[in-house]
Amino acid sequence: MYCLFVLRNDKSGCFGGRALISLWALLLCSGIGALAQSAAPPLNANAPFSIRATHVLGLPNTKNNCNGMLSIQNNALRFQKCGNPDAQVNIASVRALFLGEESKQVGGLPMKLGKAAAPYGGGRVVSLFAHKKYDTLTLDYVDSDGGVHGAIFEVTKGQGELVRNELVARGVSSSSGEDQATKQSTSEVTHEDK
Amino acid sequence: MKTSRRNSWTFCVAASVTIAVALSGRLAGQTAAVKPSGGSSGSGTQWSLQVERIDPGHLDLAHSFQVAIYENLLEELNKTKRFKSVLREGDSKASEIPDLLILKTTVVKYTPGSETQRAVTTVSGATKLTVRSQLVTREGRIVLESTVNGNVHFFGSNLRATHNLARNIAKAIKQSAWQESERLARCAPVNSDCGRHTSLAS
Repeated sequence: MYCLFVLRNDKSGCFGGRALISLWALLLCSGIGALAQSAAPPLNANAPFSIRATHVLGLPNTKNNCNGMLSIQNNALRFQKCGNPDAQVNIASVRALFLGEESKQVGGLPMKLGKAAAPYGGGRVVSLFAHKKYDTLTLDYVDSDGGVHGAIFEVTKGQGELVRNELVARGVSSSSGEDQATKQSTSEVTHEDK
Repeated sequence: MKTSRRNSWTFCVAASVTIAVALSGRLAGQTAAVKPSGGSSGSGTQWSLQVERIDPGHLDLAHSFQVAIYENLLEELNKTKRFKSVLREGDSKASEIPDLLILKTTVVKYTPGSETQRAVTTVSGATKLTVRSQLVTREGRIVLESTVNGNVHFFGSNLRATHNLARNIAKAIKQSAWQESERLARCAPVNSDCGRHTSLAS
């Protein structure tokens, strides 16, 4: 009986030890993870950065609503459409940067026609699900004459933050208040004339 | 029999082609005749225009909308060919231009919409913008004041409202008689509101 008790005690002691070791290992792993996160290297100001984007409007000699690559290289923000010469803005000339959020219907004209042709209002049901959220990146910059320009880009949701971080790391001042998302609202805001 | 039918068919085709060519030539002539009169608008001086950035007033208008209105305005005003040059805010060349007007735009009403809501319901979710536009001289005299709307009701993204708005503002400026009033005001200087026009454009 005594022997059995001792044996049991030994076993529980062994089990407790294992539990302690596992707990310690878990803590160690999470600690290392936290350290790795906090010790993440800062954004390299010279490393090239490139993402897919849609130029909505604003860049000189670039068509509106065209897709291409938005990149940051050598202190210049470049937008290049495949095969076309790229449009670029000197990062030093960027005065302000605003990040916003929008939602739009996907599929373009073919989808629109398909939805219109669908019987029994089926197109409306499709519209309910065929929309996508994306980030809008709005830049205010000045040209060589001092004239104010604005440019708007659409990027995949979540990537707007990356572009902003990259530009901020290169010295662009981001606006304190984020660009307000134009969310669906039925309320009407009115500013009466004075 | 067959040959005569063929001949008549050929004749018809030839006649219609001739008529089409003649009409197109006449239309082209009309366009060419109209074009030069639109350029100078009858007045001696041709003004330049400086577009100021959009004033959102007290409204929560997204910055992308402000920029889109500003850029679309510049594009649409350039298209009107009414002004000698259309300059941006802050452009250093503006100080060298003697006949300069400044376009001030203030947002007075904004209803945010939703493209999805428009696609699903058709009748709701419209994006509506109303702005007050003022053409002001360097001395601060208002030569034209108008309230203009820009909406998107059915198709297109929310930003399309800014394009429609800019087009309506350009149209309102083009159709107004501000140049005549400005010329009269120059001839007989009176109070500051002498050349003021108020128009409503939808």
